[in-house]
Amino acid sequence: MDDLILMKDIVKVYPPSVVAVDDVSVSFRVGEIHAVVGENGAGKSTLMKVLYGLVPRDAGEIVYRGKPVVFHNPGEAIAAGIGMVHQEILLIPEYTVWQNIVLGVEPAASFDRLDREKARHLVKEKIDEFQFNLNPDALVGDISVAARQKVEILKLLYRNVSVLILDEPTAVLTPQEIPQLFSELHRLRDDGHTILFISHRLEEVLELSDRITVMRRGRKVDTVEVGTTNKEELARLMVGRNVIFTSRRKEHTPGKAVFRVHDLTYVDAEGRQRLHSIHLEVRSGEIVGVAGVEGNGQYELVNSITGLIEPSSGTISVNGSDITRAPILERRKLISIVPQDRGKMGASVNASIMENAIMTHHRLDSRFSLWKGLLLNYNQARTFTDELEKRFAVVMAARDNLFKSLSGGNQQKVILGRELMLPSPFVLLDQPTRGLDVGSIEYVHEQMLQMQAEGRAVLLISADLEELFLIADRIVVLYRGEIVADLPIENASVEEVGYLMLEGRGLQRDGQKAS
Amino acid sequence: MAKKLLSGITGICIALLIGAGMMLAQGYDPIATYQALFQFSLFGLSPLATTFKNSVPLVLTGLSASVAFASGVVNLGQPGQLVMGGLLATLGGLYLELPALLLVPIMILLAMLGGALWAGVAAFLRRAFNMSEFISTLMLNMIADFFTAWAIVGPFADRTANSPATLPIDKAGWLPEVGGFNLSVLFMLLAVAGIWFVFNRWKAGYEWRISGQNSLFARLGGCDINKNFVTVMLVTGALAGLAGGLVVMAGPHRFLKGLGANYAWDGIMIAIVAGNGLIATLLYGLFFSAIQTGALGMELITDVPSEISLVLQAVLVLVIVAGREYLSTTLDRLAARRKALAARHNPEGEFP
Repeated sequence: MDDLILMKDIVKVYPPSVVAVDDVSVSFRVGEIHAVVGENGAGKSTLMKVLYGLVPRDAGEIVYRGKPVVFHNPGEAIAAGIGMVHQEILLIPEYTVWQNIVLGVEPAASFDRLDREKARHLVKEKIDEFQFNLNPDALVGDISVAARQKVEILKLLYRNVSVLILDEPTAVLTPQEIPQLFSELHRLRDDGHTILFISHRLEEVLELSDRITVMRRGRKVDTVEVGTTNKEELARLMVGRNVIFTSRRKEHTPGKAVFRVHDLTYVDAEGRQRLHSIHLEVRSGEIVGVAGVEGNGQYELVNSITGLIEPSSGTISVNGSDITRAPILERRKLISIVPQDRGKMGASVNASIMENAIMTHHRLDSRFSLWKGLLLNYNQARTFTDELEKRFAVVMAARDNLFKSLSGGNQQKVILGRELMLPSPFVLLDQPTRGLDVGSIEYVHEQMLQMQAEGRAVLLISADLEELFLIADRIVVLYRGEIVADLPIENASVEEVGYLMLEGRGLQRDGQKAS
Repeated sequence: MAKKLLSGITGICIALLIGAGMMLAQGYDPIATYQALFQFSLFGLSPLATTFKNSVPLVLTGLSASVAFASGVVNLGQPGQLVMGGLLATLGGLYLELPALLLVPIMILLAMLGGALWAGVAAFLRRAFNMSEFISTLMLNMIADFFTAWAIVGPFADRTANSPATLPIDKAGWLPEVGGFNLSVLFMLLAVAGIWFVFNRWKAGYEWRISGQNSLFARLGGCDINKNFVTVMLVTGALAGLAGGLVVMAGPHRFLKGLGANYAWDGIMIAIVAGNGLIATLLYGLFFSAIQTGALGMELITDVPSEISLVLQAVLVLVIVAGREYLSTTLDRLAARRKALAARHNPEGEFP
């Protein structure tokens, strides 16, 4: 097969000194699905952004259709036939599907008016041509995430793009939606499109692609044919060592109830009921997983526990003390929190690593106090940060460097370390592995098992079913603000939980009305 | 730090060059003008002492704005807090009969109290009615302006004066000159040192800084951000009030109409130029004061109008603020280039 795109000796350095892509050469062939895999920070997204013209390269050459090219911006790349779908979907929810698709390249009628009929017709044609099951007149705000993703892809196809770059397209989909995306991508390939696919989910990559390029720490490790490799080999190439994929759970008996939610209800400012009479209990040494499609009450549940919102009724208690309306500092004596958004809630990215490490400790641990608590003991803060660095194997240049200079995995290690170094009996983890690479995920899981062994009660909110089944002792399913199932892990199957997440009722209970 | 210094000095040089170009275009001799400007502001003990004395209100209001902005509090009420502090200090100097050793510290405390109370009104409105301090501090500036104007023509007016003013304060409250420098400079430096210490060494300062960068993170970390907000308002109000008190005690020794001048707005501008850095605020405050002070002398011996100092200040602000980002991205990009080249020449080497 011919090389459609040849990237030669590409180097990209993010100022001042983060080498994101380090002398990478890779070729993409006409009509293949080519996966680029690697841990977070391996440079796969950056490499694709260099190709797409979103990020300027610092060295190297790109040959496209036999000619060296430089794309200064995505517009030039799209004009040449290369388009990219980003992880975050960038559409206008108030516009219909066809309006979103033609936006920017609208067919014009006289006086430069938008030719609505023609535009709609063209979009309809494209939908039919690629057999995308989409209604061109639906408002984007009303359609599912999977459908929005299709709109994004169609937007590029409408611009006659022949090379599609997809950045972790499955990250936003439910397990049930993934096969459809894959069959559409296969059809596009068979039509002669070339698809470059960024992912770190190995099963998907093996199922979908023809060839796989593995990156690690900015370098290309290898490009392999799908038929000649397997999951274990890929994982080894990605992280440079073997990763365990079997369940990490150990046999143990949980102790007394530590964390209790009783009849918790939350009605938001617009009068919508977000949480319906939630009952939840986590015992010491137990990991309870909360499954659910995002937006089904996880946010409200987490914020009621952390104290960012005040529940309408019900109680939350830890070790018997009621914290439902306690100030946040009081809660923090009992609860460790690993929030879902590292940059927004978990850390201050423009502060130093040390300043991030000592948060909360500076109030709760008297060793940080000087002059009766007026002064912060910076000597102790330094010692503490070094201790955290060692205990949680954080890779960092200096504790006074900015937090944002750390890689995603190391940022999470600092946050996790800070929270676990609090002596709290209850740990709340909200999507603790989101956006992390395989190695870091494994590390976070290990730490969770460690918490469990220490006898802490752990509540894990996760959109990743695989993770819940790997780690949790019990899974509760949140659906429209209600707990619709509470299953010991031995009695639960991925399919059933997936179905519960989407439908709010179990497979075997079909026909019965959900309460 | 070195980068900030470099970008500051480059900015000042470029601004002076642009200013020179403007003077040339008007037919003035830029070298002679600059010489006169700095002769009357920096060269020699007396010009330097004047520059320092004039910098007091600029630096203190600038410090007030820097601390507020860096803590995520939009206190734009320095003009009002300055005059309220100045008025309260003046009242102390008018009605208290005490020896200097007691009166000076009491007047200084009164000045800080005046500013803090005025800022406290905005803090209260925010806490009680969730009213944005951005608006309320601006509006309170007007009220303070008219309130002090009324006070000096009404109850505390000096009926013998030609323009609205209070009577002179008790001599014991006059700040003396020590070695040519007015004592207010010492109080300013003490305030800079004190607030630096609070901001960088106290637990409260740590929480203010983190809240300024990411208040949600601070809140979730257990910081009482409401209490911190009120404290920052009171402290920054006190700093602006102190500026007003020191102006009265060092200069006219009474509260005159227009006492606040543009000090506080210049101070806010200085805070922005300094990127909310405390030491940078002190340095830029001194530099702006040098330009303002020198401009008056310059007018005496050259034909150049003193308004050129306003032009220079405006150019400085534009060049430094615009140049800061540009310079730092350029430096970063140069470093990235070097790194890329090194990576290519040494493809097997591990990157750090």
